[in-house]
Amino acid sequence: MSLLDILLILLRIAFGAFVPLSFVAVLVWMERRGAGFFQDRAGPNRCHVMGFRAGGLIQNLADGVKLIFKEDVVPAHITHKFYFILAPMLVFVTALLCFAVIPFADVLVIGSKEYIMQAVPLDIGILWFLAIVGFGVYGIILAGWSSHNKYGVLGGLRAASQVISYEIPMGLALVSLLVVYGTVNMTEIAQYQGQLLFGFIPMWGVVVQPLGVIIFIIAAFAETNRTPFDLAEGESEIVAGFHVEYSSMKFALFFLGEYVAMFVSSALIVTLYFGSFQIPWFATETLLFYATEVAVAIMVGLPIGAYFFAGWIRKNNKSHYDRPNDPRRREATVYIGLLWLMVMLVEVVLLGYLVFAQNGIADRLLVMILQTGTFLIKTTMMCFVYVWVRWTLPRFRYDQLQKIGWEKLMPLALLNIFITSAVIVSFG
Amino acid sequence: MTETLLFYGFGLLSILGALGLILFKHPMNGAMSFVITLISLACLYALLSAKLIFAIQLIVYAGAIMSLILFIIMFLNIGESDLPEERGRWFYLAGGIVAIGPIAILMQRAFKTLPPGETAIVGDGFGGVQEVGMVLFTDWLLPFEIVSILLLVALVGAVVLAGKREVSE
Repeated sequence: MSLLDILLILLRIAFGAFVPLSFVAVLVWMERRGAGFFQDRAGPNRCHVMGFRAGGLIQNLADGVKLIFKEDVVPAHITHKFYFILAPMLVFVTALLCFAVIPFADVLVIGSKEYIMQAVPLDIGILWFLAIVGFGVYGIILAGWSSHNKYGVLGGLRAASQVISYEIPMGLALVSLLVVYGTVNMTEIAQYQGQLLFGFIPMWGVVVQPLGVIIFIIAAFAETNRTPFDLAEGESEIVAGFHVEYSSMKFALFFLGEYVAMFVSSALIVTLYFGSFQIPWFATETLLFYATEVAVAIMVGLPIGAYFFAGWIRKNNKSHYDRPNDPRRREATVYIGLLWLMVMLVEVVLLGYLVFAQNGIADRLLVMILQTGTFLIKTTMMCFVYVWVRWTLPRFRYDQLQKIGWEKLMPLALLNIFITSAVIVSFG
Repeated sequence: MTETLLFYGFGLLSILGALGLILFKHPMNGAMSFVITLISLACLYALLSAKLIFAIQLIVYAGAIMSLILFIIMFLNIGESDLPEERGRWFYLAGGIVAIGPIAILMQRAFKTLPPGETAIVGDGFGGVQEVGMVLFTDWLLPFEIVSILLLVALVGAVVLAGKREVSE
């Protein structure tokens, strides 16, 4: 193994481990500010360090500090302490492991070697995801059972039965998707979506599987135990369900696990149905061919975008009443300075690329960075859909939930398989 | 070298898990140690480059079936006090050893008759998804289709039965 090999392995593993974790902070922030936005209020925006509020992100820091310094209680009535402690770890680790097979850029070719851009370059792709999601249920069951508490057991029962039942429509929706793609390998699935349908429509999963995407997204919402399927928590009936007995960082692990799961299932939805890392109409080869033009376009476009963003910050970041030496205006000035500094940095890097390093590895690295960015932007947008749904729809009743899963989604998924297979057999 | 070490590691884990299943008194402990057995078996399959079986073992046995069993243990809330009292277990143990003895001797004979020789692990592209799929959909197409229809009927039947009871209430 050369140095480059080791470096790339480390890079990919770091991406697979740290990106979901960093996104937890973004998602918690997005959830709170999103809730504020949908309920026509500001959301948490007061916490600050030396006057810098970072749009409310500092609130996360405060929450983290609070959770770490809380007393870590294991209630005396719990007889199976091992399972009680194992459960939050299982929930968190399985959520994180699912991300390992999701590609974040096209295969990177350096010299004669190909590097698959997944944290774990497994070719069983989607099967790995299904396997690991199955283990997530253990965490919930063990948490509910070992809490030895009525609410805990009820929450665990609800969550487990919901996850188990929605795995079936999810799996069936995947079957028809796999019929279209003809592979379970995630990188190949992503590459397939770089093609064009009739020469002008990007061949994304959402275009070729319009029914499948609805079924899959509903099932994915249920799998992550989020509203409208969050009866497992049901604050009004069973307090908080399976994590009612947990405190401090053990609770935080459930909390992190929930957001990591949300990020991972968004990433999966994007990978399977919304073109993964593909920029519409710009397949990897096209991007490589026009690398110089793309770099120039970014160099021109970035300052324009930054100008409007800076204007937006200046307009919004101010006190709503008269204050001498408004500290928020000073805050905004610092943010805008940082923004322009970042823009300058990118411009310098791109200029260096244009002058010194065209045609070669640099082209491929540029494309890789662009595709990773596209993938993360798409995933963030999908996460916003999660937040959007959570603060818009009320919770289902338990029997309604099971009825939708078994009597609506499952027949629809079966129908989808038949239609897809018929179309593939007759036209493919 | 690494593969041999991994083989021994997972082999040991799977045996320990199976022992735990028999020896633990609490059902939850038994079920969890059986999960360890199933996972280490899946890893053994992966060492033999049977990737599809690895995934299926994890999805079906370790994932679906065992989580249903855990679910039932939680649902019925079985504790040690609910278990039947085992009387005369030493008597049964002795009976079991007597019964297993001849089988063990038979197995030992069978192992000795195995021809000595190097066994090599079949390389990549033996147990992958595509290769198994090719075999399933060419040589075993009819049985495969019949089994899938059977499973489909079972699935639809379960939903219909579950739905019916709700209407009659």
